[in-house]
Amino acid sequence: MDIKVLGTGCANCRATIALIEQVAQAKGVAVNLQKVEELRAIMSYGVMSTPGVVIDGKVVHAGGVPGRDKIEQWLVAKQG
Amino acid sequence: MLNEAKEVCPTTTLRMSREGALLVDVRERDEIDNLAFDVPDLLVMPMSEFERRCAELPRDRDLVMVCRVGERSLKATYFLMYLGYTRVANMEGGITKWARKGFPIKGNVSTAIASAATGCCGGATPAKSIGGKSTFAAGENCCAAQPKRAGGCC
Repeated sequence: MDIKVLGTGCANCRATIALIEQVAQAKGVAVNLQKVEELRAIMSYGVMSTPGVVIDGKVVHAGGVPGRDKIEQWLVAKQG
Repeated sequence: MLNEAKEVCPTTTLRMSREGALLVDVRERDEIDNLAFDVPDLLVMPMSEFERRCAELPRDRDLVMVCRVGERSLKATYFLMYLGYTRVANMEGGITKWARKGFPIKGNVSTAIASAATGCCGGATPAKSIGGKSTFAAGENCCAAQPKRAGGCC
């Protein structure tokens, strides 16, 4: 599962990455987690509010640190 | 991936404005109350309202996005490009650089001076107010030292 966290390096972006890592580890889900920090790359997803989260090419979240339960839902849904 | 945004300097922006382009100022209203572009055709659309209101912007007219130093307006430019706008450019340097070049502004000159200290040229030397019109000492900052060319950029 490819997960991209969109953000210019703010504290919320770092917190989002850390939380996704934690949840993925706890759930035993293998993820390929990438940071996207360049403005043009971020805006290519049409995300105005960061952090944004993209899973397998689809924007699933924009603005603020996502909740742990939300991240769990993403990972479980993708595991299918 | 989006293409690189088109960036224009204040000189080109002034020319484009005179030729019919619409300037879109994405700064917040309190910033604009302090210091504003003095051009005939300008639309205020702060970043806090941008996503909700950007559909108001025409697609059949040149748009130049402006802000304080050109960062927020670059983001807005890319967002419009994402939405399929093709006639959109970002003014690099924002109102800080615009004011430093002596282009028309309304409002508190000291705001521009304070901004200049953190602007792209960092610590440029804005200077004087003549008859209520703000201007800046030519040759005392890195931008003013550049030759002005028609449509050129510094």
